[in-house]
Amino acid sequence: MTGGRHILWLKVLWVSALVTALYMPIISVILASLANSRYMRFPHKVWTLDAYSAAAADYTTVTLHMISLQIALFVVLISVMLGTIGAMAYARYDWDGRSLFQKAMVLPIFFPQPVLGLALLLSMSALGIAPSWKTAVFAHAVWIVPIVTLVISIRLFGYDVAQEEAAYDLGATRWQVAREVTLPALWPGIFSGALFAFLLSWSNLPLSVYTSGADTPLPMWLFSRTATNYSPLVPAIAVIGTFVSGFIVVALVVLRRLAAAIARRAST
Amino acid sequence: MRRNPGPWYALPLIGFLLVFFAAPLVVVGWYSLMPARTFDLTTAFTFDNYRAAFADGYGRPLMWSLIGATLTTLIAGLLAWPTAKILHRHAGKWASLITTLIALPVFISESVRLFGLSVFLMPGGGILAGTLNALFDVQIGTILNTRLAALVGMIYIHFPFMLFPLLLGVAMIPADRVEAARDLGASRWAVLREVELPLAAPGLLIGGLLTFVLCLGANAEAAILGGRAVTVITAAIEQRFNYAQDWPMGAALTVLVIAATAVLVFPVLRRIDLDRIIKR
Repeated sequence: MTGGRHILWLKVLWVSALVTALYMPIISVILASLANSRYMRFPHKVWTLDAYSAAAADYTTVTLHMISLQIALFVVLISVMLGTIGAMAYARYDWDGRSLFQKAMVLPIFFPQPVLGLALLLSMSALGIAPSWKTAVFAHAVWIVPIVTLVISIRLFGYDVAQEEAAYDLGATRWQVAREVTLPALWPGIFSGALFAFLLSWSNLPLSVYTSGADTPLPMWLFSRTATNYSPLVPAIAVIGTFVSGFIVVALVVLRRLAAAIARRAST
Repeated sequence: MRRNPGPWYALPLIGFLLVFFAAPLVVVGWYSLMPARTFDLTTAFTFDNYRAAFADGYGRPLMWSLIGATLTTLIAGLLAWPTAKILHRHAGKWASLITTLIALPVFISESVRLFGLSVFLMPGGGILAGTLNALFDVQIGTILNTRLAALVGMIYIHFPFMLFPLLLGVAMIPADRVEAARDLGASRWAVLREVELPLAAPGLLIGGLLTFVLCLGANAEAAILGGRAVTVITAAIEQRFNYAQDWPMGAALTVLVIAATAVLVFPVLRRIDLDRIIKR
């Protein structure tokens, strides 16, 4: 039995080493933000939150967040709408071209992201459209819509079609069935799809590189500032940006739980 | 009788992808056939850009990207396989917690995480070097601004993209199949090669493909961690577009990347039944 125990310890060691390695850079960002010197000299002589107050006072912080938020919101809207409808074709109905559709639809996921953005930039220029946060929305959506469609489809595979048939038999219209039967069943999938879309858009760098033009989303700003012009402001804004997205997601999850609890109380 | 509405539901998505995915790729292909340094799309097609791409030494950045993507896929696969096996074997509260912990950083921007890695590796006053110096009075060098650092960054960023499909793949191995093979006297290695790998192949292929393709376009790792040690193909393309103002050449290089992607993606996707994997 001692051999088994050794192996278990090895496994624990392996997994802990892995998780530590994954989080070390993130912890490093937080540590780097607690300095006030222009050059990184760890351990810091002075540990301070100065960079955070500087970031809070700097209008750039707000602008960056607003641009990222705008892009993410539109990406969520587009991908939830297209993804919900697309998931019906992906998983709910069996039709002639379905397997081809399933394969063609995931192609953008298996595609180098900067190339997607670049292709979009070239097309926009050919049409005379200047890149801005609006073009970045579409670049993000091309990659995120297929993912959200898959997330919602997972929900549909466990879906019992008989419920819809029953509703039709009871005289419900197509619209009623969609609103009262299909959508409520899909709702958890739509909700997680929306969260995915938000987080993926908020954190994406390669899709914005070519497409966002003069509007700089958070990851773009961080990317260019790490290369040049470093100061503790950079890690501070990185930490703030990550917390803002985390806060938004947690708030949405809590709101959803609350809404569900209220609905349950109302029905009893 | 209600008619099958499947195709109607597919229509919006197909339209969206045609306009924002397929059409832009056609435009890139078109630009790549234009004479050098033009900004207009005409019908004066030429293959000069492709000829020039290889003559002017753009084969090198493409080669670096291909090597980087291959190494990252292999190493991430080697790291992810035992991890997936462990997480699957000990499925339960702890394993789900660990899985969540591994998934969470994906939602933190890669510019943040790569920046963190560079601060960690920085020589002198970096997190690692500074801590070692302060605690043990040890001075260490750094791998920052080398090809190795860029590779470490690529593995770090893309590991979850390998691990999660692989978790699905490992879940497709029935435990009794492995036991039967062991009972029949198969060695560990034989079980891995003859039973586990073929059964987990769909997950392995998807993870490998995703990792490879994302690495092929990866640029930030080389820019933040690799310094000037390595120019990847995306950086070369960007340079053509932004500084050289030579769009047709940039487009030709882009088409080469797209071609490399297509050569890999189509055969793999044809062999895999995504439907079956997602259903699990």
